[in-house]
Amino acid sequence: MIATIKAEWRKNRFRPAFLVSSGLIAGITVLIYGVSWYQALHPSTREGRGVLSILTLYPDQFVNNVMGAGFPLGAAIAIVLGALIAGSEYSWGTMKTTLTQGPGRLTTWFGRVVVFEAWMGILTAILFVVGAASSVVVASFQGHAIGWPTFVDIAKGFGAIWLVFAVNGAIGLALGVLIRHSAAALGVGLIYVLAVEVLLVRFIDSVSNGAYMWIGNLFVNQNTTALTQSFRSAVFGPSVAPSITAERAVLVLFAYLAGLLIVAAALLRQRDVT
Amino acid sequence: MENTTIVETHSLTKRYGSGVLAVNSVDMSVRRGEVYGFLGPNGAGKTTTLRMLVGLIRPTSGTATVAGHAPGSPAGLARIGSLIEGPGFYPYLSGRENLKVVADLASVNRKRVDEVLDLVDMTSRAGRKFGTYSTGMKMRLGVAAAILKDPELLILDEPTNGLDPQGMAEMRKLIREIGQGDRTVLLSSHLLGEVEQICDRVGVISNGRLVKQSTVQDLLGEEGVLVRAQPADAAEEMLTRMFGREAVSRRDGAIHLKTDPGKSLEINRQLTSAGIGVSELRPFERSLEEVFFQLTGEKQGS
Repeated sequence: MIATIKAEWRKNRFRPAFLVSSGLIAGITVLIYGVSWYQALHPSTREGRGVLSILTLYPDQFVNNVMGAGFPLGAAIAIVLGALIAGSEYSWGTMKTTLTQGPGRLTTWFGRVVVFEAWMGILTAILFVVGAASSVVVASFQGHAIGWPTFVDIAKGFGAIWLVFAVNGAIGLALGVLIRHSAAALGVGLIYVLAVEVLLVRFIDSVSNGAYMWIGNLFVNQNTTALTQSFRSAVFGPSVAPSITAERAVLVLFAYLAGLLIVAAALLRQRDVT
Repeated sequence: MENTTIVETHSLTKRYGSGVLAVNSVDMSVRRGEVYGFLGPNGAGKTTTLRMLVGLIRPTSGTATVAGHAPGSPAGLARIGSLIEGPGFYPYLSGRENLKVVADLASVNRKRVDEVLDLVDMTSRAGRKFGTYSTGMKMRLGVAAAILKDPELLILDEPTNGLDPQGMAEMRKLIREIGQGDRTVLLSSHLLGEVEQICDRVGVISNGRLVKQSTVQDLLGEEGVLVRAQPADAAEEMLTRMFGREAVSRRDGAIHLKTDPGKSLEINRQLTSAGIGVSELRPFERSLEEVFFQLTGEKQGS
């Protein structure tokens, strides 16, 4: 078990896909802060445009703010990474090299998942560190006192974003194992999460005046949205009460995480490596 | 006493979902310490068989024992090194880093990485990214990964594929070197000269069936007599009467006779007394190529 984790870490620690993704996550966070800062200082006078409060950009609100970078952009990156990690093992022929060394298929999969989810933690940490630093920059320029959220709030936010990345990454991983090709897997994953699921949920909502929305509430995006929006504080303005509680969203997302990883493990264990 | 067989299969069969019978009831045995050539045309079932031996694919039926264990079992894999259908490494890692990944997976001391790099003469190029390697360098790294565990059994699937003539000669030399001592090498190839040069025993597979398994010497050892005579048709008719239709064949103007070369004197006497002029009469040894084409039913030069 330790051997496979060591091997997975060795091959992934300098993997360009992870390094580029780390830069992207940091860049997206800075971009969101930069655009929001501009919008807060130059509110639109056009009708119907909400006014973004500068208060949302200060350090005490940074956990709420980074949720916007975490989902959907960070989640999309996680899908791409998952699909690349699992799919490229087949296209590079490294799956056969790995599986003929000794550790069993499930042990190999376990090691891969551990290192991948650790990388999701690293991406979450980058998101949080860059978000916090950006909020300090805004507060310093605005001459606002620097105050921080409680440790519990930071920990909850960190856990929520990690879960979002982990679930979306697991979608990519499972698709990579299923399709055995990285490009096809990431294409299918992105189209599903960013388009197909949105359309399906919209359709379910429209049937019988939303009588079947409980089905729609079982989809990944619905639960991810509910979880990230649960961090929204009063300074962000009024919001609609979510139909899914944060606790329920966490449970559903963990179920997805476990389900996807187990299905992928079963596929890997059963199928021939050709 | 330790078993003298390191690979043994019984009725090993692989049928794919589409109904294609890739490997059909193969009974194969590889003895410890030998270099075994697994010979067959492209698509004959060589790679599928080897994949089953290392547990990458599961047989539809039949059994196999490899290094005393079921194929794909961690205990068995710990004693096997393999290079199946070309080397598979991470293109963004250096050759050395790729071998360290393999060493970690196989729980092998990382010091061994430098040893095997030296063995395959890749030390000076080990720091370069695998993606920048030539085909020959990739193959060498593949062999290095295969011998990393210092395995009892080395399974090499067409290790000279894609190499230029010099690369092929170097690879053969390397295989001969690493096949010395107690190590068993199971080498698949469709290159007859390669097998003839390297292997002690061969198994010939055709259309998924193992059609012959013996030493190279036995395979080539079916002796015969080559006759050139005029008129050739009359000579062929007479020899057919003497030895039967099965024993006589005509190639490149010569008559090939499957018989004991000790009968040359009798053949000469009979042909001469029938007024047939004999210009050449000598024992001949078949090439592996001839045996191969005969066994696989393929046409030479087709």
